[in-house]
Amino acid sequence: MTLKKRTKIILLIGIIGAIAASGAVLYMFFMPHRDIQSTKTDYKLSADALVNEYLQNADAANDKYLDEGGKSKVIEVTGVIQSITEDFNRQKVILLKSADALAGVRSTFTEETNASALKAQIGETVTIKGVIRAGAAYDEDLGLYENVILEKADIIK
Amino acid sequence: MKKISLSILSFLVIAVVAMAPISDKYVSTKTHIKFFSTTPVENIEANNYAAVSTLDTGTGDVVFSVPMQGFEFEKALMQEHYNGKDFLNTKKFPKAKLTAKITNLSEIDFSKDGSYAATVSGEMTIKEVSKAINEKGTITVSGGNITVNTKFDLTLSDYGIEFKKGKPASNIAKTIEVTVVAEYNKQ
Repeated sequence: MTLKKRTKIILLIGIIGAIAASGAVLYMFFMPHRDIQSTKTDYKLSADALVNEYLQNADAANDKYLDEGGKSKVIEVTGVIQSITEDFNRQKVILLKSADALAGVRSTFTEETNASALKAQIGETVTIKGVIRAGAAYDEDLGLYENVILEKADIIK
Repeated sequence: MKKISLSILSFLVIAVVAMAPISDKYVSTKTHIKFFSTTPVENIEANNYAAVSTLDTGTGDVVFSVPMQGFEFEKALMQEHYNGKDFLNTKKFPKAKLTAKITNLSEIDFSKDGSYAATVSGEMTIKEVSKAINEKGTITVSGGNITVNTKFDLTLSDYGIEFKKGKPASNIAKTIEVTVVAEYNKQ
């Protein structure tokens, strides 16, 4: 009787363990993408300051802002809107760039946040929150300054 | 006196005009690059809309700079693996680059609307590994704007991306298909 009971308990623990393990595997497999807008902001700064940080020392800036698994820093950038366009995924793209700056911050919105980009005006100063994907740099082959790239963006101020 | 100032002025005008760069450069910030991998186990797709490209209609130079963390996968875990050290190591190598030249430039009339078959040859650099590429594409000229479309295969091991065992080895194709679209405006 006690032996039977013990077998039952072991069996039960085994089943619970198996369910938990497969749950963990399934969770990993279907793990949702990070919701950037509800993620805590890592850095707040102006578009010019972020661009200059990259132009002065790209390696140090990449080390600070980029993550090995692609979960790079969430940044709030304040700047003047120079242009509002749309990409091939029908996402709004706002370029924050001062008139005399070498490069700006290109922020790509999402299906959920496109509406707030539509309300924005060129010349307006706004604060945009997004995840950084790449920094600013002068590229010799392009013959251009590349902008900082933020994605999953939204205007928060 | 008047004559002198006039001649100085005309000299200045000529100098400014002569020094203005005569550029045939077009820039694209509206791009779409897609990776597609197919194996019997699964199909994997990733999309990137943030690359920058230039096209010089005078020299035929084509350049693409691709922010590697901009590739988005359907599954978050897959995206994490892709960015990681064993795969694209995007923290260390945040950008990939293509520098190429259109080799049949004389067959493309950038001043006339139409669709032209183009051949390009150049170099692709991923993770600081450069390989020669020779590919075909289509250049569409329409109302002063230019669109480039191309599709080619990329062998991952050429760039030191190899999986010997486990899930990546069985689920990721050895050769993936890359589709590129870029819309250019005159600079």
